[in-house]
Amino acid sequence: MGSVVAPVVSILAGAVLGVTTLMGVVSSQTAAPEKSPGNVEQPTLEYGTVSE
Amino acid sequence: MAGRADDAVIRATPILWAVVLSVLLLGGALGPGYTLSYDMVWVPDLALTRDVLGLGSALPRAVPSDAVVAVLDEVTGGALLQKIVLLGTLVGAGTGFAALVRERSTAAQLVAVTLGTWNPYVAERLVLGHWPLLIGYAVLPWLVVRLRAVEEGLPRSVLPLVVLGSLSASSGLMTAVVALAVAGRADARRRLLLLLCLVGANAPWVAAGLTSPASTTTDTVGAVVFGTGDEGMSPGPVAALSFGGIWNVEVVPESRLGLAGLLFTVLLVVVAVAGAVRVARGVAVPRIGALTFCWLLGWGTAVLSWAAPQALGWLGAHVPAGGLLRDGSRLLGMAVPLVVTLVAVAVDGLLDRFAERGLRAVVGVVIALVPVSLMPDVAWGMGGRLEAVDYPASYAEARGAVRDAPAGDALSLPFVAYRAPAWNGGRRVLDPLPRFLARTTVVNDVLVVSGRPVAGEDRRSADVARALAAGTAAERAEALRAAGVSVVVAEQIDGYPSPEVAGETVAGGALTVVELGAAVSAPPGVGRLTAMVAAWAAWWAVLLVALGTAVVHARRKRGRTDTLG
Repeated sequence: MGSVVAPVVSILAGAVLGVTTLMGVVSSQTAAPEKSPGNVEQPTLEYGTVSE
Repeated sequence: MAGRADDAVIRATPILWAVVLSVLLLGGALGPGYTLSYDMVWVPDLALTRDVLGLGSALPRAVPSDAVVAVLDEVTGGALLQKIVLLGTLVGAGTGFAALVRERSTAAQLVAVTLGTWNPYVAERLVLGHWPLLIGYAVLPWLVVRLRAVEEGLPRSVLPLVVLGSLSASSGLMTAVVALAVAGRADARRRLLLLLCLVGANAPWVAAGLTSPASTTTDTVGAVVFGTGDEGMSPGPVAALSFGGIWNVEVVPESRLGLAGLLFTVLLVVVAVAGAVRVARGVAVPRIGALTFCWLLGWGTAVLSWAAPQALGWLGAHVPAGGLLRDGSRLLGMAVPLVVTLVAVAVDGLLDRFAERGLRAVVGVVIALVPVSLMPDVAWGMGGRLEAVDYPASYAEARGAVRDAPAGDALSLPFVAYRAPAWNGGRRVLDPLPRFLARTTVVNDVLVVSGRPVAGEDRRSADVARALAAGTAAERAEALRAAGVSVVVAEQIDGYPSPEVAGETVAGGALTVVELGAAVSAPPGVGRLTAMVAAWAAWWAVLLVALGTAVVHARRKRGRTDTLG
C-alpha cells in the first residue's frame, strides 16, 4: 500500500507546485499594462498611484 | 554521532531557508552602493542634524530610526549598514516565524519561514522603503516567543526587541500592541515594567510629534489616497487577508494582480481555517487569544481604511497623531503571527496523515514553495527594483560646498518631495539631499498621489514655497533668507526647472550650489528642547539597561535566570 501511496502523493505534490508556478509566472507576465509604473503620468512628481 | 549531526542539520534548516529567501528577495540590493526606493534613502554618512534628532520643523517621520543610523554609520558606513539592516531584518523575520512555531515539525517551520518573508506585506513595504516598519515586523514573532512565559518573569531579551521594534511611529505602535496583548496575563508589576520599556523606547517620536511646530493633524485627503486598496481581482479586505492591499499599486507585484494573487489568498485562508479547526479541537497554541486580538486589530484597521477612509481622515484631521492610521494596511504586520501559527498547525495535521518520513518531507517542501511559486516576480528585489546604485560625484561636491556655506539652513530644488533621477535607474525616491547634506534642509512635504495633492504639515515648507513664488531672483533670495535659508542646492532634473535665486554660485554641474548669505533659522524653544532631552534620556535608559543586563547575564551565566523581574 505504502509503495503506491508515495509515488501518487509525490506526483500530486509536484503537479500542485507546477500549476501554482505556472499561474504565478503567467500572472506576473500578463498583468494589466495600466498598472505598470512606466505608464503612470508624471512619474517624477508623484509619490504613487492608487487603484481606481 | 551521526544522529546529532542530523539533528543539527534539521534545526539549522529553517535558518538556512530564511537566509536563502532573504537573499533572493533582496537581490541587487546586496550589491555595491545604496538602494534608493521611495521612502528608503540611505547616504554614506548621515549627520545628526536637528531633523534627525526630532527638533526639525517637519513631522518626525524618521525618529528615532535616522538617529540610530547616524550613529551606527560612523562604524560601518551607510552602504554596508543598509545591507546589514535589510538582510538582518528579513532573516530575523524568517527565523522569528520559525521560532514562533518551533514546537511544530521542521516542514511546518519551513512553511512559516516562507509565509513570514515571501508575502505581499514584506515585498511591498520593502519597495516602498519602509525599512523601520519591517524591522518592527521582524520583531513581532520574537516578542511573542519571548513573552509567552512572562508569568515566570520578564525576559531581558525583550528590552532590545522593544527598542528595535520602535524605530518609527507605526512600528512602535505595532510593537506596543503585540507586546501588551501577549503579556496580558502577567502580574501588574511585570506589565508595568514592560509598559515603562515601551514608553522609553517610543519616547523620541512621541515627544518630537507632540512638541513639533508642524501641524500634528493631517489632511483628510491622505486617508482617502493612503487607505487599503484593491489588488487586481481582490477587493481590499480580501487582499488584506493575505497581507496585501497596499495603497500604491506601483509597488504591488504583478502576480498579485492576476489569478495567482487570488489563489494565494484563497489557499491561505483555507489552510488557516483548517488550522483554526484543529486548534478548536484541542491542538494547543500558546497565546492564541492574544494573537487573534492582534489579527483583528491589524486586519480590522486595513478594512476600516478601505470601507470608511473618511472616518480615518476625520480622525487624522482632528486628533493629534490620528494620521498614524491613515495608511490602512501598514498595521497588517500584526495579523501575520496568527495566520502563520494556524497554517503551521494545519500543515502538521496534513503531514500526520503520511507515515513515511520521506513523503512528509516532499509534501512539506512543496507547501513551503507554494507562496514562492505564486509570487515569482518578487524575486531578486522585485525584478531589479531594489538595485543598489552609487551617488553621482556631484553629491559629494555639493555636500562639501554646503558645509562651507554661511550659517543657516539649506534648501533643495526642484521643490518636490519625490524624484526619479536617471542615475537611480529612473526609480522613484524621496529627495536624498536632506540626508546627504550635513545640514538641516527644507523640503516640500506636499505629496501628490494619482494627481491629488496631500497637504503637508511643515509650516516652514509652506513659507519657502511662498518665497519661491516671488517675482524676481533677488526677491526670492531675500524671502528665503528671511525664512532662514542660507544656501540653495538645485539638481537638474529634466522637466522640473528650478526657479533662479540670486546669490553666489559656489558649485556647478549636475548640482548647483548657490550661497545666499548668512541667515537665522528659529532655534527650538526651551520647552521643546527639554522634552526631547528627556525623551532621548528615556530611550537611552532602556537601551543601556538592555546592554547592562546582557553583560551581567553573560558574566553570571551559570545558574542565573534570564529575566528582569
